[in-house]
Amino acid sequence: MTITFNPLELPDSLSSLRREVRDFLNEVDRDWSGWKVGHSWTGFDRDFTRAVAERGWIGMTWPRRYGGGERSHLERFVVVEEMLAAGAPLGAHWFGDRQSGPLLLRLGTEQQRERFLPAIARGEASFCIGLSEPNAGSDLASLKARATPADGGWRLNGAKIWTTNGHLCDFMIGLFRTGGGEDKARHQGLSQFLIDMQSSGINVRPIRDLTGEAHFNEIFFDDVFVPADMLVGQEGDGWRQATSELAFERSQPDRFMSCFPVLPELIDEIRAVRGDDRLARREIGHTVADLIILREMSLSVLGELAEGQAPAQEAALVKDLGNTHEQTYPNLVNGLLDAPATIDTGNRLSELQGILTQTVPSFSLRGGTREILRGIIAKGLGLK
Amino acid sequence: MNDEMNIGELLADQVDKLFSREVTRERLIAVEQGRFDTGLWQNLDDMGICLALAPESAGGVGLTWQEAEPALRIAGSWAAPVPLAETMVAAWAMGHAGMDLPGAPMAVAGEVFQLGENSPDSGVRVSGASAVTPWITVCDHLLVLARNDRESRLCLLHRHDITVEDIETIARLPGGRVDVANAEPLASAVLPNTLSSALGELGLLPLLACVRTVQMAGLIDRLLELCVDYGNTREQFGRPIGRFQAIQHMIADLAGQSAAARVAGLYACRQIDKGAIEQGATVAKARIGPAATRGAEIAHQVFGAIGFTDEHILHYYSRRLWQWRSEAGSEHWWAERLGQQVLARGGSALWPSITDPKPTTVE
Repeated sequence: MTITFNPLELPDSLSSLRREVRDFLNEVDRDWSGWKVGHSWTGFDRDFTRAVAERGWIGMTWPRRYGGGERSHLERFVVVEEMLAAGAPLGAHWFGDRQSGPLLLRLGTEQQRERFLPAIARGEASFCIGLSEPNAGSDLASLKARATPADGGWRLNGAKIWTTNGHLCDFMIGLFRTGGGEDKARHQGLSQFLIDMQSSGINVRPIRDLTGEAHFNEIFFDDVFVPADMLVGQEGDGWRQATSELAFERSQPDRFMSCFPVLPELIDEIRAVRGDDRLARREIGHTVADLIILREMSLSVLGELAEGQAPAQEAALVKDLGNTHEQTYPNLVNGLLDAPATIDTGNRLSELQGILTQTVPSFSLRGGTREILRGIIAKGLGLK
Repeated sequence: MNDEMNIGELLADQVDKLFSREVTRERLIAVEQGRFDTGLWQNLDDMGICLALAPESAGGVGLTWQEAEPALRIAGSWAAPVPLAETMVAAWAMGHAGMDLPGAPMAVAGEVFQLGENSPDSGVRVSGASAVTPWITVCDHLLVLARNDRESRLCLLHRHDITVEDIETIARLPGGRVDVANAEPLASAVLPNTLSSALGELGLLPLLACVRTVQMAGLIDRLLELCVDYGNTREQFGRPIGRFQAIQHMIADLAGQSAAARVAGLYACRQIDKGAIEQGATVAKARIGPAATRGAEIAHQVFGAIGFTDEHILHYYSRRLWQWRSEAGSEHWWAERLGQQVLARGGSALWPSITDPKPTTVE
């Protein structure tokens, strides 16, 4: 077991890009309510996504011939962290930019790349991810939704669940069973498909969550036809394909900055109503120190990824620490302010606190629960 | 990997070999009884590591702090019972101030002392006090930073010229409370402006906080290693306890703390190299405290009653963690300082202060 976190220094040359993103956000920022900002990267706003696309900030690292910007992972990091710091609604391009696009770039056919990557980069194709099922959550390999060969392609049957923004997206990359499934071969016989969400036989049922809103969905597949050329990568290799990008998914700032926008509001409110006494200083100081170290860790994993490493352990550690960090924010606010127990519409801090208090439990569930991550970490440490 | 090893890693490797061979329980006990480990110090001196951070102009190796971090961390991980970190800090600062190095172990006071109004007849005079100065009871030399209205000076004092009162600490390492009344230093030098502004108002304290953080990161690494090993070997209910999910998750939690701790220590070192000394120490010491607390808590839970005994090695690590958590400013003290700065700047300045901290360079 070796856990490695080599430092990665962001070069000064990125400061002009950072300024560009800040200027851009200052222009669009004004109309967002605290409630909306609280949705952070899951917030779905196609207009915003198109504006981001116009700046060339979706698919930044992809080749130009697929609509990308051929920019570095560090440049993308700067854009992403600036967006997250502002609580920008990234949901309409987030999954395509972070997951589906890179997957297609790596394993997609030329035709798939040409069709989908430029559309994602233009902000016109929104992607969702179909993994969990009603009876396969943390135990993902037990999934049952099946793809069976049909004339000219495949027929999909079964159900996916907890698909964030599935009701709003254009395409899904879904994991389906094409074989295997017996006890010894649970991770075999899984395949990934590109699915047009307008296909006949797809029934999307939004699931109202505890906030009263519907962000995720249950999606039923009733003999849905998928053309043969919409298989992604190798038939039967879906498990490896779907999990190999997890180091990226689990280590980036969205895993510790989901609540960040409440922090500046909290700071200003403390200054306005109570003065910066020692308790406030200490609590805020601890939170900021924790955040800075998480950012260093995230950059470090990015450096490894950019060099072609697959730091799965390190990424799992960042997500576990990061989720724990971001989940402390609502209680931090409560501990430092005697705010009324109401959600005051129009009051940014109050709205943020209202939504975040309700959503933080999901942070250590989405993208791998804390328990799954700790299992991965323990195994990596050599605990048998 | 070997041909990729830089000088810092080579040094760390040597330190690891030395300490893994030499730091026995008996020697840890001897030092806690107040004896200086002359033999171990001689080994280190021969290796040249005490001068690793000192600039070449002072006869040192001139490593950056980032390069020296692995050796310091490894030394920490073995609970090295010598004032290596303090001596390295002193050699770095003195070397940059153009002072000759005494070639002996040195203690360092974190507090800023007062500099008398030196005149041609009286020479330089120093006064002040330090509540906890590790190693001063067994070292001849104490480095302090002293200030008056006009200048800041590094002053090397001899133990015979100061009052040292024994103290008890959780680590039980040699150390004392220091009182200095108008003492004449063995040597002193005005701090160069760049070093003075890089150190800031806290003087040498951030450097001590940095090395404590790095040492603590080493200790937490050691706790992790011990816990993994114990988890795989200790059997209860007919299987290794590391097979129980409850134990696995605790150790995974410890792994997270160890990783954060290491990143914090390295962050502090990198900030010194960039001239943002206080920024690095502040963030690192504020973060390492919770990591040490949680880390020690988990290790003791994993080891059960045997880990609570005097006979077991664990307490030599956990007691140092509890001690060092409080030394050179506790995590709460540093967090308060950081929080004060953040609150003073206001909400909109928070994010820019994280992405673009403003450093000064030390020459």
